Amino acid sequence: MTLLKQANLLLWKDLLLELRRRDSLLTMFFFGTLLLFVFHFAFDMPPDKVAELAPALLWLAFLFTGTLGLAQLFQAERDNHCLDALLLSPLDRGALFLAKTGFNLILMLAVEVVVIPLFWILFNLSAWNLLPQLFLVTLLGTVGFCVLGTITAAITLRARARELLLPLVLFPLMIPVILATIRCMETVLKTGGFGDATAWLRLLIGFDVIFLTIGVLIFDWVIES
Amino acid sequence: MGPWGYVSLAYGIVWGIIVVYWFLLKRRYRGAETELNRLRSSEAAANHDKN
Amino acid sequence: MAQSTNAVKSRKGILGGLALTAVAAGLCWSLLVAPPDAYQGEVQRIMYLHLPSILTAYLSYFLVFIGSGMYLWKREDKDDLLAHAAAELGVLFTALTIIEGSIWGKPTWGVWWTWDARLTLTAILLLIYAGYLMLRSSIDDDQRAASAAAILGIIGFLDIPLIHMSVYWWRTLHQPPSILRPDKAPWENVHPAMLTALAISFVGFLLLYFYLLSLRYRVGEMRQEIKALRLERGV
Repeated sequence: MTLLKQANLLLWKDLLLELRRRDSLLTMFFFGTLLLFVFHFAFDMPPDKVAELAPALLWLAFLFTGTLGLAQLFQAERDNHCLDALLLSPLDRGALFLAKTGFNLILMLAVEVVVIPLFWILFNLSAWNLLPQLFLVTLLGTVGFCVLGTITAAITLRARARELLLPLVLFPLMIPVILATIRCMETVLKTGGFGDATAWLRLLIGFDVIFLTIGVLIFDWVIES
Repeated sequence: MGPWGYVSLAYGIVWGIIVVYWFLLKRRYRGAETELNRLRSSEAAANHDKN
Repeated sequence: MAQSTNAVKSRKGILGGLALTAVAAGLCWSLLVAPPDAYQGEVQRIMYLHLPSILTAYLSYFLVFIGSGMYLWKREDKDDLLAHAAAELGVLFTALTIIEGSIWGKPTWGVWWTWDARLTLTAILLLIYAGYLMLRSSIDDDQRAASAAAILGIIGFLDIPLIHMSVYWWRTLHQPPSILRPDKAPWENVHPAMLTALAISFVGFLLLYFYLLSLRYRVGEMRQEIKALRLERGV
């Protein structure tokens, strides 16, 4: 069975589980929204300032929400010792990586699709026409987050302070993605298009491609029984 | 603080930290060596007793 | 298991002695022989620490990368020991680089810290490899810790150019290049004694680095053997 077919199977398994219980999705969604509320109280912003800070606030919210999702990523396997079963099967570990990354990606995108318009409403922003471009940037950034996040979640799986260690290890590695997505979104909001932010876009795409490839190749050594 | 003040601060702190690290490293080294010798000699003794 | 024979020990001693000599020579040249810089004055002498420090740190992280890769490939303990030792020293020299950069910055830019590209980058490096050390110490199983750390060692190193690019773009797009960047060595107008001071300092740091690395590696090796012996006895 090819890599993608295997990944697809595993992905469907996780999605079905999630559809049934909806733990992660609901928690992430509410947490993301809650953060928006907290930001509103924390940053007492005049309306013109909001547009400037919007990308940064959104991305902070997604970073923390995403980290929540990552903490749950291998939870089902851990609880039921499925991980050992998976490892014993002749499955390509790269497929497991793609599946987990894909699963987290879908969860995060689902949250983002709701939270971004919600942000626009709550903070009285008007540039609705720019949302497609912003979604594109968000998608690319989220892919980067999920790719590195899955690897990090897997290597911190057996660590003692797992929940603390994961963001500690992940966030410094994420800095190119954080910079690229926020700068891109700022340019879009300011100028209505990508303009000179295309360099950032290319960096983002490069980042995604590089670490997606590395993840697939290296995941064999990441998960061990 | 004059320019030589900053220079001495930098050189002082840096070499101070290096010396302290080296000292602590040496201590770890000696501790490990002692422990290793202790374990090895007691293993030799145990083997000797067996024979 | 390797035993620290007297021959090996004296080799380390010689390395240490060489390092000490080079470091002392470097100090002489940096503080006495080399003239003060035309723009920055005496404060520029901190560069004789700063440049070798950061280069040593990068060397260290490269060794972490190599050790990590070799360990994942061959599963030989010596590679993991190298990676761990190099990571620890890398964190040390990165911390020193930040301190030196900060102290240099105060008389030059007037502030102890600025989010310019170089200081920011160095701080990020410190965070990544401090995370590496924390990851290792928080996993109880040695082999798992080694594997997990090796993955991080590879990913972290490969991320460095991307982090470089993003931080530099961010800083140059948003801030005009500051008035004068005299820390970029203008090779044309540099007094030869300054280049000599830099070269000797660099050699000193390198020798010191390898001396410390050999000590730290041996400590790791001994600890491994101690663990194995204790396990045998059920101590």
